[in-house]
Amino acid sequence: MTEAQAPVGGELYAARQKIYPREIKGRFQRLRVYAVFALLGLYYVLPWIRWGERQAVLFDLPARKFHIFSLTLWPQDFYFLTWLLIIAALALFFFTALAGRLFCGYACPQTVWTETFLWIERWVEGSRTQQMKLAKAPLSGEKLVRKGAKYFLWFAFALWTGFTFVGYFTPITELAGKLVAFSTGPWETFWVLFYGGATYVNAGFMREQVCKYMCPYARFQSAMFDKDTLIITYDEKRGEPRGARRKGADAKAKGLGDCVDCTVCVQVCPTGIDIRKGLQYECIACAACIDACDEVMEKVGYPKGLIRYDTQHGLEGKAKKVVRPRTIVYASLIAVLIAGFAYTITHRNVVAVDVIRDRNALFRELPGGMIENVYNVKILNKDGAAHDFAITADGIPGLQVDHGAPSVEVGPGEVQSVAVRLRVPRGELRGGSDIHFTIRTLDERALVATGRARFLAPTN
Amino acid sequence: MRQAPEEYTGKLRWPRLGQDVAVVAWPSFLVASVATMVCFGFIDPVLVGNDDYPPPAFQTRMTGYAVGFFFFWLIAALSSLMTLYLVRTAHPEPADEGTDDGTRSPE
Repeated sequence: MTEAQAPVGGELYAARQKIYPREIKGRFQRLRVYAVFALLGLYYVLPWIRWGERQAVLFDLPARKFHIFSLTLWPQDFYFLTWLLIIAALALFFFTALAGRLFCGYACPQTVWTETFLWIERWVEGSRTQQMKLAKAPLSGEKLVRKGAKYFLWFAFALWTGFTFVGYFTPITELAGKLVAFSTGPWETFWVLFYGGATYVNAGFMREQVCKYMCPYARFQSAMFDKDTLIITYDEKRGEPRGARRKGADAKAKGLGDCVDCTVCVQVCPTGIDIRKGLQYECIACAACIDACDEVMEKVGYPKGLIRYDTQHGLEGKAKKVVRPRTIVYASLIAVLIAGFAYTITHRNVVAVDVIRDRNALFRELPGGMIENVYNVKILNKDGAAHDFAITADGIPGLQVDHGAPSVEVGPGEVQSVAVRLRVPRGELRGGSDIHFTIRTLDERALVATGRARFLAPTN
Repeated sequence: MRQAPEEYTGKLRWPRLGQDVAVVAWPSFLVASVATMVCFGFIDPVLVGNDDYPPPAFQTRMTGYAVGFFFFWLIAALSSLMTLYLVRTAHPEPADEGTDDGTRSPE
């Protein structure tokens, strides 16, 4: 510990020092690169995919409709989102119980974007040592150019990220045109900058601090762990006592364990912890230390796996149990929920009817002894095709329906309001009665929906 | 013995103000996001206050969503701020068994 880093005068909060993770290659880092490409690729490409006349995935907030490929979701389908969130939460429990913070290491947007920003940093400024040297160097032309280039690339990438984000809510081709012409609307501009700015600050500067100070999952993850959870651990029994040694020296004779104390595992850590101190909440399970240690073990001619994915039981020499009641329960719950979700979303009723009584008059007495009530009937067609609807009503004997046409055509994904007059012979009721409107498609695909309303008549 | 790399001290921390801003702004952002989704899943902002008079509160839905989001963020942030204040100004908890200095561990 150097002078500047030592806590002075009981100061609990020393200024944060930037961590320069050392680049490392290995099987887990390869996996992480694949994850970054898959997830970010999906994020940046998805809004550009077309589905017929429209964008395949578009959360059309102004129209209050979510399009996901052939599916169109309406505000009435909101509970599907809740359902999805429950599935996501259970999946998080499942994977955490199985192998710890897989989500953090491979899929969390914070990790994924930070990784990309680190690549840019490395590409412009060079390796870890070069970066640290550059940071310490006095201001010079080269420093200015390198730092400037890095910030510019970060900025451009963040802006593109913000633009893509807004592209999920506004048709992205139109948005791109507007962006080029600098004519985006006020909210579009704001959200592009807001999301872009958040990416820039989170992935460029805050990085592991987000995980350490802002992430709730990091704090409660231990509640989902048990002794059979695979976690990244240092095999203390095998490694200790650690110490440097000459190549080919008999470590056992010197009383040393397998850890050569090269500190590479610490240098590669993006959160700056020492895995040899045991499981810490700062660990985002990126497995960089596993790859780093394996490389060193290979060089010095020791077996790999001094740092590895293992369970607490495994470290104690007991059997590893991946399949156990906890994982079985989570897995089956997820399976049931996904099956239910898939069934419901493919079998949901794609037509709906909404009936509002005309507010201006309770009822009207027509010449000829009929009582008339007027309703505003809204027909929702959530289907991908247009349909012809017949409107009927029941609940009172002799009920007549009149809306000026034999049927109503409603286009795909549209709402049609129809003024409907209902007439009842005067003697049939006093006061009021509940009635039901039924809409029914007239084509080969039978779609039906009903809506309740009240019919009012004079009390005498 | 080799010198540990200089950036590793085990004491990497944000300044207190940074931590305070983060723990107030971030959880309230998450809560505001969920609240906005739930709220506008049920309410159409252009229909708010849209009885005959006064005129609708929001001219466009996008304005309604954005105003709603920032309103929820503000309310949630106030709650976070108050919680933080209460936690920060509370007397330290009694020392755990085994520690004798009577202060809470900064960890």
